[in-house]
Amino acid sequence: MVAAPVDQVRTLYRTLLVFAAVSLFILVAGLVEFAYFEPPGQHTGLKATIVGVYQYDPDHKTTAGPDRNSFPRTFQFAAVVDWSSLPKNVVVDARWYDGFGNVVGSVGPGTPDQLAGQTIVPVKVPPGFSHNLPGHYVFVVERYEGGAPVEVIGRRVVLVER
Amino acid sequence: MSALTTARRANPRARRPARYAIAIAIAVALSLVLVASSILNYIYLDTVAGRTSLYGLLAVALIAMGTFIGVRAAARDPAVRRRDFIRAAVLLGLAALFWLLLIDVFIFTDAAGPRVAAVCALACLPTTAFGLWVVRRIDRNEKEPWRLVLVAAAWGAVVATSLVIWAESLWQDIAIRTLVPGPGFDVSTAFSAGILEELAKGSAVVLLFLVMRNEFDDVVDGIVYGAAVGLGFNFMESVAYMTNLYAIFAPDGVGGYAAGFQWYARQVLGLFFGHATYTAFVGAGVGIARQLPTTRKKLIAIAAGFIVAIAAHFSWDAWINLFPIVQNNFLILEIHLRTLIMTGPFTAAVIALLLLGLHIESQALADQFRKEAALGSGAIMPDEVPILMSPWRRFRQRLRALGRGGLRAYVRLARLQTAQVDLAMERWHRERQEVDTPLEAEQELRSQVISLRKQLAA
Repeated sequence: MVAAPVDQVRTLYRTLLVFAAVSLFILVAGLVEFAYFEPPGQHTGLKATIVGVYQYDPDHKTTAGPDRNSFPRTFQFAAVVDWSSLPKNVVVDARWYDGFGNVVGSVGPGTPDQLAGQTIVPVKVPPGFSHNLPGHYVFVVERYEGGAPVEVIGRRVVLVER
Repeated sequence: MSALTTARRANPRARRPARYAIAIAIAVALSLVLVASSILNYIYLDTVAGRTSLYGLLAVALIAMGTFIGVRAAARDPAVRRRDFIRAAVLLGLAALFWLLLIDVFIFTDAAGPRVAAVCALACLPTTAFGLWVVRRIDRNEKEPWRLVLVAAAWGAVVATSLVIWAESLWQDIAIRTLVPGPGFDVSTAFSAGILEELAKGSAVVLLFLVMRNEFDDVVDGIVYGAAVGLGFNFMESVAYMTNLYAIFAPDGVGGYAAGFQWYARQVLGLFFGHATYTAFVGAGVGIARQLPTTRKKLIAIAAGFIVAIAAHFSWDAWINLFPIVQNNFLILEIHLRTLIMTGPFTAAVIALLLLGLHIESQALADQFRKEAALGSGAIMPDEVPILMSPWRRFRQRLRALGRGGLRAYVRLARLQTAQVDLAMERWHRERQEVDTPLEAEQELRSQVISLRKQLAA
């Protein structure tokens, strides 16, 4: 008795299915990672008061001028946060992210009382550069839980012009 | 084979296959997405971007017309086919150029200037052309026509990029306003790139499969077309990143360095390791589906190809930060190792599918060469079988023809060999019941081979 020849296309098909199974595992791992860093059910309704984003004078560590949504790249700028608007028992921080996702300025984490003296959060010019890099900068005030940020309770997006 | 089946296959005026309807539906859906994208850009983006985006509608119209004429040409009389193909190529070329111009004006010109954009595009052209040449060469038994490889690359560069601009911007906008910045945000962005870009690129491969079935034989062809789409996409993305980073870093005097690094990372190191690998998986899935017997298995194979492509793309974007590059003496080594470790396994998997596909194809063609020779039709002679089975021996035979009869003899022999391989391929598909063309098509190929043989002898 002669066995029927094996269709080699079926071998290809099965190989692809093995690759797809591994790929599904990768995608599930991605979903798990997303859920870990964005845990569901963390919405508390808390709102941090971001007073505004102003031009910043690094020599005197003060802000000046009106609240703005965009700056020339030669300008330094900072966000001003009113920590007193938050409950005293929460742990929070504030960070600036540049267009590449790098942290370019931060305060905290700590309780609002601990951060009371740090209401101005400036953007730092990257080492080796004379001005801020252009792009959209995101300022966030984050609530911490278990040592990690779990909820954004204040957010501003600022454009640094080219 | 039943008499009914024979009669249906022998019908020279066969009904238009249902896959054409699917292809038209997909094309219409893609065009609507492109038009919607242009209109939304016009409404929501700033004046310059919106205006140029509206002009993009013209590029969409040119692509639609070019594709329609190109597809229609395939089914036409050879006398008018060439003219239609040229018209389609011109329209697609105009659309590509128009879109390139748009991208320059839309995104970069304002910051980096048209000269920088042109230099970046020119820098990426030779490497992308080399990539396409290599990808086409890997199909050693039956090379795909340049026109289709270039159409695939053009769709990757022009259509796929246009499809994802709006969707990715929207996803990014929502993510920035809702997610906690950090790893979760990065994963979200990676899902956006993996899903949206692979769907946009893969749709071109699926359309080629549905419309140009005669030129889409198996997994090898699928990998070739998929990689070509990926290379086209990579070209446009490289130009975008190079010009954008140049504009960002130029005021600090390192714009050229930033653009040059992007060129190396995307056009040299990542030429085959990035988009070409990802979309080759979509092509592999579609190519395998081409040869499966049931609709269920076909759909599973196509879905599997998309899943692997999305996962490969996702893993690079999501986990690239796991391999941070430190500014030290080993910087160059680290960059290469990162690409090798993160994308290397996927590229190796594509190569495994390719080698297996080539092996299967070679065996099948050898079998069909022998069967055709045994038939005694005169299309393939018994002493030609060992030569036709080896691409290297075919090449040596052409070289001998070149020495004896010059370039004319070389070209004629090349045409004869191509027609003989086409005939064997047609026989293979018919034996596996994978063709919907009438039996006359095979006889026509046989007659064509015999005619080419006579021309060569003359």
